[in-house]
Amino acid sequence: MRYRAFIVILAAALTVGAPAAFGRIKLAALPERERVEIQLDNGNYTLVEEERIVPLLKSGKANNMIDFSWSNTAIDKDSILFRPVAVREGDKFRPVKLIKLADGTEAPEVNVINVAYPPNENALVWEVYSAEACACKVRVSYLISNLTRTFEYRALADKKEKALTLRKYMVLHNYSGEDFLGAGVWAGFGPKFLKEVNQLDDLKLLMAKFTDVPIEKTFTFDWYTHGALNPDKPLASKILMHYRLTNDEKHKMGEFPLQPGKVRIFIEDGRGGEAFLGEDWAALTPLDDTMKLYLGESRDIVCTRIIESKQRHSVRGNLYNQEIVIKYEIENFKDAPAKLRMLEQLNRLGQEYFGNTHGDVEWEKLGKTSKEIRFDYELGNAAPILLVDLPARPEDKDKKVEKVTVRFHVLLKNLWQ
Amino acid sequence: MKQITTATILTILAGLLMCPAVGLAKNVDLVTLPARDSVQLTIYNSEDLTLVKETRSVTFKKGVNKLQFSWANTLIDPTSVTFRPLEHKDDVELLDTVFPGQKPQHLIWNVESKFEGQVKVEVTYFTSGLTWSMDYVAITDPDETKLHFRGYVRVFNNSGEEYENANVRLIVGTINLVEKIAELAQRRGIPVPQPSAAPGLYEMLRKSGAKDGIQRAEAPPEPAAKAPVIVKEGLSEYFLFSVSGEETIPNGWSKRMQAVEARDVPFDIVYRMRAYQYGPRPVRFFIWRNDAEHKLGDSPLPDGQVNLFRRNGGDGDGLAFLARQQIRYVPIKAEIEINLGPDDLVVYETRRMGTERLNFHFHAISGPPHEVVDGWDEQTNWVDTIRNYRTKPIKFELRRQWDGDVDYDSEVATTLFDYRTTETTFDIDARGKRQYPATVTVHFGTNATQQRVKLKDNAR
Repeated sequence: MRYRAFIVILAAALTVGAPAAFGRIKLAALPERERVEIQLDNGNYTLVEEERIVPLLKSGKANNMIDFSWSNTAIDKDSILFRPVAVREGDKFRPVKLIKLADGTEAPEVNVINVAYPPNENALVWEVYSAEACACKVRVSYLISNLTRTFEYRALADKKEKALTLRKYMVLHNYSGEDFLGAGVWAGFGPKFLKEVNQLDDLKLLMAKFTDVPIEKTFTFDWYTHGALNPDKPLASKILMHYRLTNDEKHKMGEFPLQPGKVRIFIEDGRGGEAFLGEDWAALTPLDDTMKLYLGESRDIVCTRIIESKQRHSVRGNLYNQEIVIKYEIENFKDAPAKLRMLEQLNRLGQEYFGNTHGDVEWEKLGKTSKEIRFDYELGNAAPILLVDLPARPEDKDKKVEKVTVRFHVLLKNLWQ
Repeated sequence: MKQITTATILTILAGLLMCPAVGLAKNVDLVTLPARDSVQLTIYNSEDLTLVKETRSVTFKKGVNKLQFSWANTLIDPTSVTFRPLEHKDDVELLDTVFPGQKPQHLIWNVESKFEGQVKVEVTYFTSGLTWSMDYVAITDPDETKLHFRGYVRVFNNSGEEYENANVRLIVGTINLVEKIAELAQRRGIPVPQPSAAPGLYEMLRKSGAKDGIQRAEAPPEPAAKAPVIVKEGLSEYFLFSVSGEETIPNGWSKRMQAVEARDVPFDIVYRMRAYQYGPRPVRFFIWRNDAEHKLGDSPLPDGQVNLFRRNGGDGDGLAFLARQQIRYVPIKAEIEINLGPDDLVVYETRRMGTERLNFHFHAISGPPHEVVDGWDEQTNWVDTIRNYRTKPIKFELRRQWDGDVDYDSEVATTLFDYRTTETTFDIDARGKRQYPATVTVHFGTNATQQRVKLKDNAR
């Protein structure tokens, strides 16, 4: 059974004083919706606002009784607002004005006196005063359940994976029980849409298209999160691939925060087609922040992590400094250069030797650290990211892939068991 | 015949009036029905309790008169029913009250009268099932600088009784009851009345000819052009909201009336970062006070739900829904705070930039002799960053809780909210950014002598 929300002007009630329609036998006129807006800017609540033109009688012996009822839909009864906004004068509507009452006070010429709620019904009755008989433009707004929105993205990278086109969609899910014809749909940012939103419809609306967004493809090695790659390569670990795109003007975005949602990632195949690279859930990406999209594991970069040397230095009593040299042997079998990000979780490293680091480990970089390594502290001081540039594999078939070897020489300070 | 039983009825036992010495048949009564002249409802919101005061005109003869009061299928507390004459007080005396064992929800008053003729009497009783609540609607302008604030009282009638043209008073405040009225009303296993949309006593009585009170209801005064005025006044520790005029709320119905209105109420917007209270992201608050400066302050604001909207402006000038929150009783001059939740346009980050351990203390252990660490300090450099992407400056309040014995140092003025919580307030420009560096030294082991945060002088 389909939903209808009705506004009815109770003719019977116009001639009888309050309360309206004890027996709820109604003779009614049904003003149609003139306009409807669906507001989706609040992630938890959806606000529907309808505009209707309601004929009102002059409040002579009694006020107008306007009955609003609904069925098969979940309207939040406590959220319903009735706002008289304009009165027809000739061919046009003018805003509702204040008038002087007999007692000298002022009140709107169309004014809600009270609201009555009948038992066991999805309905309410507004008692509305009208100074004159008029056609009144009113707005009825309410929160409704099961009319929700999610966000989705489609990213299309160029073949060289230097830039992508990002499309942001809002997907409107209408399981509210109601049809909304010619509805204005707005998420609080981006364009406003005028759409027919029928019951059980899912509408995917393009909110924004960002073209030529520069991206950085990254390869990340994280020994302590992923462990050994396999028994044959006990010192190697997974290399995770990501696209990183920054939500700022420099990267041709930065118009609004990017809401969480699923991102489907495609790449141009160079022949006019596209290939699907995978999908990921994007986290909320505020302005100036970076969206990281996980693409999968790289098999063409191999990184081996070896504890080359370690030495414990006594400070006093059971207090020690632990000196460690970590050697990374990296091979890039790709036909393009790459930047490898090696995450060293120094707290976990310290725990290997002392069990407990008593909080974030205190450390310093020592002299055998390779100059090729650049450090990034995006994840905090105790989890430095070591950045290493890798050359592409040699074009010459007879030449082997050059193994890049770098070292991280670290002193973990003031540790004890 | 449900309609017949869902009402209070004052009956004058005609047989007894005619011959008081002669016993009546137990279950056959001949009665007349004096209608209510007026009814006043005083409804409490802290308990399911309403004091009903009704006046009726009763014709007495000289001698002992028997009045029967019955309240079938309502939720009246029988122990609370009182009777008193409002006229001829010296001539009319209540002798006793009988609760007949065979007739639940009835009582009989034996009234001695030296006067013969019509007397106005007052009957009061407690009932449950009549309740009221408050709710609020606040709509801000598109720039979020001022709001239109309205409060509504909503009266619910599930008492089983129809109260026609009642004078309604609402009590704000908490009272103490040792027994619930609904339990007292149902002590003899009387079922709770169900809301019904069917015509009630009003219709029944109208048809049956008890016209006096009813005819007044059928001839309403001029229709209201404004919502009823709700007069607010203090009463001991309570506040009394009196609804002007008379209201009719049929059984099962509820009615909502505007009780508070203030236009152009200025309010402050404050962002708060309190991870321990509001979660990991800063939340946005709209704050104003229940006082004259904010065009309020006539009365306390009772507990109730606030629905907060913003006008979008422009051609359509529709509404956006911002927040819903239950507010607790707001005394006069107290603040109203509405939490709008996290804002995607204001970002807070905190990051440890480095840690150092120092001031080690050692404990000497014998056989074989050696020393072990038993006290140390951990010094961490924190940098918090706040980014405001809104087109207006914002006020940002940051509170952080710290465990242990902590020395706190920052070049930014910082205060203590409590013994373990630092507090800092920032004004951040439109589309601006602020950084808040702090050095936090935590004493551990034997170095820890307190459980508190101590601010270094320059942090204050």
